[in-house]
Amino acid sequence: MFTRGALLYIGQRLVLIVFTAVAVSSIVFLGVHRLPGDALLNERRPDPAAEAALLHYYHLDLPLPEQYVRYVTGLLHGDLGESYVNRGVQITPLLLREARVSAEVGAAALVFTIGLGVLLGVIAAVRQNTWVDYLATTTSIIGYSMPNFVIASLLFLLFGVALYNWTGGALFYNSGWTGSYGTLDQILVPGFALGFPYASIVARLTRASMLEVIRQDYVRTARAKGLTSRVVIVRHALRNALIPVVTILGPLVIGIVTGSVVIENIFGIPGLGKEFAASILNRDYNIVIGLFTFYAIIIALANLLVDLLYTVIDPRIRY
Amino acid sequence: MSQPVLQVKDLKTQFFTDDGVVQAVDGVSFDLNPGETLGIVGESGCGKSVTALSILRLVQEPGRIVNGQILFKGDDIVTMSDEEVREIRGKDIAMIFQDPLSSLNPVLTVGFQIEEAIEAHGKVPGKTALSRTVALLKQVRIPAAESRVHDYPHQFSGGMRQRAMIAMGLANSPSILIADEPTTALDVTVQAQILELLRDLNRDLKTAIILITHNMGVVASLCTRVLVMYAGRVVEQGPVEQIFKDPQHPYTWSLLQSIPRLDSDRHDRLLSIEGFPPDLIRPPRGCRFHPRCQFKIDRCLHDDPPLLNVGPDQDAACWVTMRRALASNGERRG
Repeated sequence: MFTRGALLYIGQRLVLIVFTAVAVSSIVFLGVHRLPGDALLNERRPDPAAEAALLHYYHLDLPLPEQYVRYVTGLLHGDLGESYVNRGVQITPLLLREARVSAEVGAAALVFTIGLGVLLGVIAAVRQNTWVDYLATTTSIIGYSMPNFVIASLLFLLFGVALYNWTGGALFYNSGWTGSYGTLDQILVPGFALGFPYASIVARLTRASMLEVIRQDYVRTARAKGLTSRVVIVRHALRNALIPVVTILGPLVIGIVTGSVVIENIFGIPGLGKEFAASILNRDYNIVIGLFTFYAIIIALANLLVDLLYTVIDPRIRY
Repeated sequence: MSQPVLQVKDLKTQFFTDDGVVQAVDGVSFDLNPGETLGIVGESGCGKSVTALSILRLVQEPGRIVNGQILFKGDDIVTMSDEEVREIRGKDIAMIFQDPLSSLNPVLTVGFQIEEAIEAHGKVPGKTALSRTVALLKQVRIPAAESRVHDYPHQFSGGMRQRAMIAMGLANSPSILIADEPTTALDVTVQAQILELLRDLNRDLKTAIILITHNMGVVASLCTRVLVMYAGRVVEQGPVEQIFKDPQHPYTWSLLQSIPRLDSDRHDRLLSIEGFPPDLIRPPRGCRFHPRCQFKIDRCLHDDPPLLNVGPDQDAACWVTMRRALASNGERRG
């Protein structure tokens, strides 16, 4: 599937991602060391001897350049260090476990974003200037006018109060996450709240793109061949209309990642987003640096994936 | 005389725009006989492309066929169901377009797009469709057709793309091929090759061809009969030799005068038709050509000339010609 040139390109991008990760973590590393206060600082000053022992335990007694070298060496080996607050908790496995939870919700959000967005966009374009178009367009205007936390609150109200008896409690959000995998209820509602604003953006873009593509000569050719309208729309129009949609997938993934910080805190989902807020509030700086690095890698990989997706959808693009 | 394979009767296609109703095609009638090559000529915006699109009901909103009949083997395409029209498209009547790059889907292989045309009209095994596609590409003289069939349109040259379009058009051996400016986007040598290809196909497969062009030279090299359109109407029609030798409508005459000739004096200025094609939302009263006509008489300003027989198998819509024809008839009688 990939040519030599493409493999070389992917290799170069992966090397760049490693550099990006190191650069991001360095900036955050230096940043948090400039901040006043630390995780070990409490209302009560600890015993000076114990404090010195703690500082020594976390190598915080070393000069900054030395700490930095230790950190980057660890990072390159995939070791993000140990939590300041919960001693003995290794950060890398912690983040990987939380990433699985976030990935579930994020994947659900992405399915809503692309699935719902493309569906609404295509329907609106095919039935342009009919009530179907107006309904789809209005839905997407509502979607991108409302922040995800407002949508989340409305969903609580809707399924928890208004429709509770009617739906028999289905889709009522139960925040008791036990394992690292959520139930369908636990994933769908936050996934929708997280994905819906972006679905609206995709819908608008798909609609505009479809309207342009439908007027292209090759769509006329497809109709002149005697293809059915379904084949003309899906095979000839939609595939071309999706090229600009793929372009915004990168920014959309970033939006979902940052949005998950809010959504996971609202829904009490034990994922990266919740950890992000908690670690900052606890001044658990090792986790903060680790999370920033982790997010940087995820976003960089998502962008690489989007760039590779181009070559699948448009044969004129080759690396 | 055999039964015409296509009869267009008083076709009117209009575009309902915000500025008003554009009368793009306004009462066009013609017959097409089996195996015939008919040229439709005229300036940009005279309604020739819309006429062609109307035949396959491919006119897009806000355009609509508002009047007339398009009889294909006796059945009226205008009143058919969408499914019936779909079955005719690409099977009985195929169409190729002006710009072969924009007319081919950039994200699908050329071969796939031809196979699609075959499979749209009946189930065929994938292998059969592929071998038929390769055969079609060979027929339109695409070199190394076996490997080229897997190429994308951007990997083809301009001429090859148009050949591929023609192969697509021929996929189901249609009885009519409508070619809308098939050579306009190509350079002159490739133009000649495409025209030769169309001529061979017409001769070997007996496919009737409707060739739409603004180029009189292209008409002369391919067609047996020609229809001259101006401002949505047919202003003259007849056999090609007759029209070229003895044009009866001033517009046809001007078109012929505007072809550069190698044998004329280099210092003679090439004749061009003054003015612009009329606004089809508010076409001029009387003869639609009169504002640009150098032969006009008073009657042209307010009376609309009908298309009348002016010679053997030749019709023209012009008051001046008609008066002259009547006068010469009178002389003969006298």
